[in-house]
Amino acid sequence: MPKFTLNGQEVEAKAGQTIIQAAGDHGIEIPHYCYHPDLPIDGNCRMCLVDVEKMPKLTPACTTIVNEGMVVRSDNPRVKEAVRGVLEFLLINHPVDCPVCDQAGECRLQDYYMVYGLHTSEIPLGMKVRKRKVIDLGPMVVLDQERCVLCSRCIRFFDNVTGTGEMQFFGRGDHVAIGTFEDRPLDNPYSGNVVDICPVGALTSRDFRFKCRVWFLHATNSICAGCSTGCATRIDHRDGAIFRMIARRNPEVNRSWLCDEGRLSFHELTRSERVIQPSIKGSDGVQTPITWEDALQSVDQRLKQIRDANGGSSILGFGSPSATNEGLFLFKRYLTEQLGATQFEFRIDSEDKKVLDEEDQILRHFDKHPNSMGAIKLGLISDDLDGIDGAIRAARDGRIKAAVIIYFNPLVRRPSDDEAEGRIIELIDELKYSVVLAAHKADWHASADVVLPVAAWSEEEGTYTNFEGRVQFAAKAIESAGDALPIWEVFAMLIHASGAESRWMSAENVFATMTEQSQPYSRITFEQTQLPGVVLASC
Amino acid sequence: MTKILLANTDKPDQASIGKYRERGGYKALEKALTMEQTALIEEVKASGLRGRGGAGFPTGMKWSFVPRNTNKPTYLLCNADESEPGTFKDRLLMERDPHLLIEGMAIACYALNCHLSYIYIRGEYEFVANTQQKALDEAYDAKILGPSLMGKDYPLDIFIHLGQGAYICGEETSLIESLEGNRGYPRIKPPFPATHGFLASPTVVNNVETLASLPWIVQNGGAAYAAIGTEKSKGTKLISVSGHVAKPGVYEVDLGYPLLDFINNEAGGIANGRNLKAVIPGGSSVPVMTAAECEGALLDYESLLKAGSMLGSGGMIVLDDTTSMPETLSVIADFYAHESCGQCTPCREGTGWAAKILKNIVAGKGQRSDLDLLLKIVDRMEGKTICPLADADVMPIRSFVTKFRSEFEALCAS
Repeated sequence: MPKFTLNGQEVEAKAGQTIIQAAGDHGIEIPHYCYHPDLPIDGNCRMCLVDVEKMPKLTPACTTIVNEGMVVRSDNPRVKEAVRGVLEFLLINHPVDCPVCDQAGECRLQDYYMVYGLHTSEIPLGMKVRKRKVIDLGPMVVLDQERCVLCSRCIRFFDNVTGTGEMQFFGRGDHVAIGTFEDRPLDNPYSGNVVDICPVGALTSRDFRFKCRVWFLHATNSICAGCSTGCATRIDHRDGAIFRMIARRNPEVNRSWLCDEGRLSFHELTRSERVIQPSIKGSDGVQTPITWEDALQSVDQRLKQIRDANGGSSILGFGSPSATNEGLFLFKRYLTEQLGATQFEFRIDSEDKKVLDEEDQILRHFDKHPNSMGAIKLGLISDDLDGIDGAIRAARDGRIKAAVIIYFNPLVRRPSDDEAEGRIIELIDELKYSVVLAAHKADWHASADVVLPVAAWSEEEGTYTNFEGRVQFAAKAIESAGDALPIWEVFAMLIHASGAESRWMSAENVFATMTEQSQPYSRITFEQTQLPGVVLASC
Repeated sequence: MTKILLANTDKPDQASIGKYRERGGYKALEKALTMEQTALIEEVKASGLRGRGGAGFPTGMKWSFVPRNTNKPTYLLCNADESEPGTFKDRLLMERDPHLLIEGMAIACYALNCHLSYIYIRGEYEFVANTQQKALDEAYDAKILGPSLMGKDYPLDIFIHLGQGAYICGEETSLIESLEGNRGYPRIKPPFPATHGFLASPTVVNNVETLASLPWIVQNGGAAYAAIGTEKSKGTKLISVSGHVAKPGVYEVDLGYPLLDFINNEAGGIANGRNLKAVIPGGSSVPVMTAAECEGALLDYESLLKAGSMLGSGGMIVLDDTTSMPETLSVIADFYAHESCGQCTPCREGTGWAAKILKNIVAGKGQRSDLDLLLKIVDRMEGKTICPLADADVMPIRSFVTKFRSEFEALCAS
């Protein structure tokens, strides 16, 4: 652990750390474009030059390893002049088209200009090097070569993270530009990341382009619900609509990356019609709207009748691997404690096996649900039923009479999803009584006896347990549709309707109860579920 | 003056292996192979030979940085990417006496325990590469190179690699990148090529002239070489002189030879009876010297440094009193703007900007304030880049503008 002096203060660095990393750990940001914690060092932008005692020239903080006793200054006039000089160089051929640039507001050129530059341009417009603009680089990315600072982050991303190597420098001197060979599209499943890591407006998102100025957006930390990896994300939203989702750095899970499917998964929320109010099937077989209170009263009564007639084992709890741990916990608690139910399942398509199955070597897993591991850990698995097929058989045999079903559309769709929905319909058709909690309408809508609208991902807060058993918190970004409620709240109300004590006021309350009473979740705290999350002891 | 490198370059048949051996060729290699490898390095150290590519780093010391007990192979790369404007000495050696380079490389490879070596020749020198390749083929046929080096149990292969004409590939780490098949970008140092060079293995990059000096040193001993030249600049140096002299060409001088004597006696003086205005003594990247500064200056590393310039590659450009300094500088700046690889910011943007300002000035569209802007730009480039290319642009710009400011001002509107 070498000690060194940074801007006059003695601080400690981790062994092998570079100056820029050690300074960052001590809250001193050394300006940079090319340095990125999850990419190999390149040292090309020259913004991070610092003054190290006994070194004749200024040295880049991103390439220089801290040595014991090093004396570093990042704030003296010599360094400031150098940084200002580099910034001026970066701006001489920049088009300064901020008013029409999507990056404005989160652009490192703008930010650093306000801190280190504030100079008047000394280059006449006619002298600027012109490059190509608005180059279509496939489904995710649009390239503007003039705005590029040639930091090579995108090139290094494709060379080192995806290994696909689509991007490269072309030309020489001040005519160097980034691009792909013959403008071929970036069609690898991670191409959207280069928009996140581009420090300027050179690579912009085809999906988000011109939708909203970034300073109008509100940011909410979340977890991607696209698969069982559980990548940390930030949802940017405004007026109840999500505008984009970008990666949040979690070195333990996704580093700084997201897959393209996950990045765009929020669009799935608005792609089909939402369930906006509770409804109950009348004697005429038509779904009729009903208040929450009446709906829950009716559900509780009917389920209790069935229990009294056929025993608790005739009631099935069919959970969803897309629901939060808190929702699933109270769901199970209501069914076991109030109704004596013993049968639980959530598997439609071998989620318990797919949850660990890697789709590629980078991030994605085959299981397109965020919380399969949570459902497994909460015991929503029955050896007896072994998935939905067993449940359908049991219903057909009359062993199961009623079921409470939670179903969410997967946010990352696969062709097998339609089949999965078909299986749910099959199950409902075999049951005497079915209660479905869903966020989106689907074909089974008419068949269910009661449909309860619930909040989808991003509309409620809660924790998800990823493939490795890492419990991570996702905050609520936007309001849910219509009268929809979070699942935990629906079951908290059902427990109340059933006459038992129910004092949970938030997902955090439910989490606290869960850690007290549910074995795999014991001994973890709510704080631990924040970045980088906590891995369950049993995993 | 001693002829070490140019002893046989004027003989038309010297390129053939038969004539080369007849005149004592490959005797030094024979002798070297009887010596201990470490003794050979000591001999080179004793000779005081310094890198002739421009930097003047002591060759023996460079060799001694190479770790000797690693499980990685060691590579010797011959830098024949001679691209510095005004420099054309390596070309002469490879065209006229190609076996001298092969012999020098074989000696160096043996000393460094290297079994695979490349000659990186600039793309524009294809015809030179052909001559050199013919000599390599002859050396293989004569069983000098190949599985056993001159009959000794020591395999050695030498290959030629043609560059694609980028000045930057003369910088040793970009040369290595280019040889590896990558874009010719200089690497961040450390680590240095001595430990992490070609294919991440210990590597020595030496200039053609440096390597061609080795046979003589081995034959005559390091002490004999060290006896030539000055105290710190030992041996002989090729000077390729061009510009306004009566007899431009490549000359070999003992280091420490007076600059003006060289121009007047060797190069035939200023052509057409004109007067000397300025000299760029070491390739276009070194500071220009005024005629007054040339008085008393000697052709060696220390003396020229003291006179405010550098010996560099020995690519001397002599300018007479009809020369427009702004025009000359504009051509030089254009070259560096064109050749900047574009990797790091100050060089990429600075060289281009400076070149455009100079073009404006030459076209009569400049302003006097542009001169200060030029000096500000070069200040911001100097010492802030990955490789020395930016500095190669800084030195001429700063020296031309400060030493001949009135000429620039005369072209500028006030």
